Amino acid sequence: MTKFLLLTKRELTERLSQKGFWYMLVLGPLVLLLSLFAILKAADQGKQELKVLIADPGQIMGHRLMAQVEKNVHYYFLDDYLEIKEFDKAKAYQEFDVLVELNEKVLNNKKCFVFYRDQLSPDIRIQLKFQVEKRMEELIAAQHSSLTEAAFRQIKQGFIFDFRDIKDPKNEAKEANAWAGFVIGSFILFFVGLYGMTIFRATVREKSNRIVEVLLASIRPEQLMLSKIVGIGMVALLQLLGWALILTLGLLFLQQTVFLDIFDPSNWGQATPQRLNPLSSLVFEQLNLSFLFIHFLLFFIASFLFYGALFAVLGARSGADADGQQFLLPLIFLVAFGIFAGIYAVYYPNTTLSAVLSYLPFSSPVLAFITLAKGASIVDYTTILLSLLVLLACALILLKLAGRWYKQSILKF
Amino acid sequence: MIKVAQISKSYQRKLVLDNISLEVPKGQIFGLLGPNGAGKTTLIRMLNQMLSPDAGQIYFEDQLLNEKHLQQIGYLPEERGLYKTMEVRAHLLFLAQLRGLSKQEASRHVDHWLVHFEIQDWKNKRIAALSKGMAQKVQFIAALVHQPKLLILDEPLSGFDPLNVELIMNEIKALKEKGTTIILSTHNMKSVDEICDHAALLHQGQLLALDSVIKLRQAHAKGRIFVRFKGNMLSFANALWTDFTLLEQKESTEGVFECILQLRGTSTVNDLMRSLQAQVAVEHLELLLPSMQEIFIDLITQKDKQHD
Repeated sequence: MTKFLLLTKRELTERLSQKGFWYMLVLGPLVLLLSLFAILKAADQGKQELKVLIADPGQIMGHRLMAQVEKNVHYYFLDDYLEIKEFDKAKAYQEFDVLVELNEKVLNNKKCFVFYRDQLSPDIRIQLKFQVEKRMEELIAAQHSSLTEAAFRQIKQGFIFDFRDIKDPKNEAKEANAWAGFVIGSFILFFVGLYGMTIFRATVREKSNRIVEVLLASIRPEQLMLSKIVGIGMVALLQLLGWALILTLGLLFLQQTVFLDIFDPSNWGQATPQRLNPLSSLVFEQLNLSFLFIHFLLFFIASFLFYGALFAVLGARSGADADGQQFLLPLIFLVAFGIFAGIYAVYYPNTTLSAVLSYLPFSSPVLAFITLAKGASIVDYTTILLSLLVLLACALILLKLAGRWYKQSILKF
Repeated sequence: MIKVAQISKSYQRKLVLDNISLEVPKGQIFGLLGPNGAGKTTLIRMLNQMLSPDAGQIYFEDQLLNEKHLQQIGYLPEERGLYKTMEVRAHLLFLAQLRGLSKQEASRHVDHWLVHFEIQDWKNKRIAALSKGMAQKVQFIAALVHQPKLLILDEPLSGFDPLNVELIMNEIKALKEKGTTIILSTHNMKSVDEICDHAALLHQGQLLALDSVIKLRQAHAKGRIFVRFKGNMLSFANALWTDFTLLEQKESTEGVFECILQLRGTSTVNDLMRSLQAQVAVEHLELLLPSMQEIFIDLITQKDKQHD
């Protein structure tokens, strides 16, 4: 164990002493933040002129809105139920851009659906939410006469506004979230591939400069391989944590300065040109970043062990770096396969093939994050945990097998 | 110290060690000889437990060789490498700790050897900055820094200049004096003649010869005799008659000749002395023993002829 730790420490310190690690630690997240900033800014759609139809069969709102109504949004009331399909297809409703559906239980379940034809800008979302929520609060406070409206607002529970595309009312696609999950999942494969190459090169170098013969006189080949995977894995993990820290600080900075919190009333009506757009809303509001990060770490560790073993074996089989490049191709294809599988799953989330791909160790990290980013149900989450277990089990089996292959190959010059 | 009992090993159906048995006596220098591909490296890797034999056993101090013994074995492989980005002292500490020394012990031993080999000024240099000879010294230190009972040296002299060859040879002898058992695999037969006590000759996975070096040389003596005498060369030649063949002759100083003779038939050295006594004044007479190089070449050639 001491020897294993000694080798692991050597791998770790060697890489931490390289300038490249520190450059990548700082530049990587900065480039990402800049790219994110550029994308978010480019996606800012500004204000829209639109008509909102509030279907209020219980006449809860009583055709009343709060006084502050922006001129570009026009509200209309319907005192009846309205089928979503009818709103979508019927000629009479084509002039309306948004349908707000308030059922009679809205005061109790505090949830209402908003269906839109075109993506709504955050301004509109804020306004809609403000108008409906405040009116509801007024009504609830009135029901409980012992409370003033101000006192009620202090103890209130927030209303849930579920914004959905009229073309996808069940919200099955959640494409933006799915793509965000795809990016995060692909990021795992990217990092695994990047540091897997480091394992490959380190193994080839040890073999070609023959120090492996000295090392193997003190430690078993399996331990040597594992120490390399763990040591380099720790470097990758350190870098990831560094990235996460810098990205978190960067996102907080952007949120506080450029992309203000849309649901904070103190930010309304500011004269500043900065306004939230759907993408920034996705990044800052819809994705549970801390939840995703925990799963990112779990999947990253399991994937790294899985792919790391493969890279180490390839390194052991390669006599020299040039030979090794040929061995690498199939492995790069496998990494690419995971990414393509992710693209497929974004477009066809409910097919049998997607279900199969979600368990395959090569593609499961990407598919898991697509599901997680969309908001996993209990069933989905069980699948994700199961796929993580499958990945981990495959990694352990592969490490065992790779240990043997590594042993057979490392001393063949 | 080491007992190898009937070990065999094959790689992809090719037999590289065929039922080899040998013993390495404690505190001695054991030459492991053989041409390339003889199976020496395979045997050495087995001693270092990098490979397992297909059949047979290896014993270390009468115990079946196991992982615990690795701390008592030092190994300098033929193809040796170091981490080029590491500093000399840090690298030696790393390798010493891998061999089971504590950090404090490793530090003490490393500093001792750096001073001993006069490379203490280089301790903070990166390996990449060292000359080849300097790196070889570091590798040599790495093999013995943990004071092993058994030191396996595979071509320890290759790459060294004559001065450093002398240095390493003396170091090997000094280690032997301190009780270290040494297995020396080399193609440098001069070093075998000079420092090895025992030797084994491997060829195509088979053991061709195994004995003490002196017995091997005596056993392969070809009846050649060196004679230095004062007198007349013609008288000397007449005395030889038909029982001895004159192979070489030269006049070293005026009236003093040095010759090499070959015994023929059943004639002995005593017969020669009797024949010469009356003719010339013999100053020196010696039965010439073959060098290990000659034995090596003879045995391998004979074996190859048998094979053909």
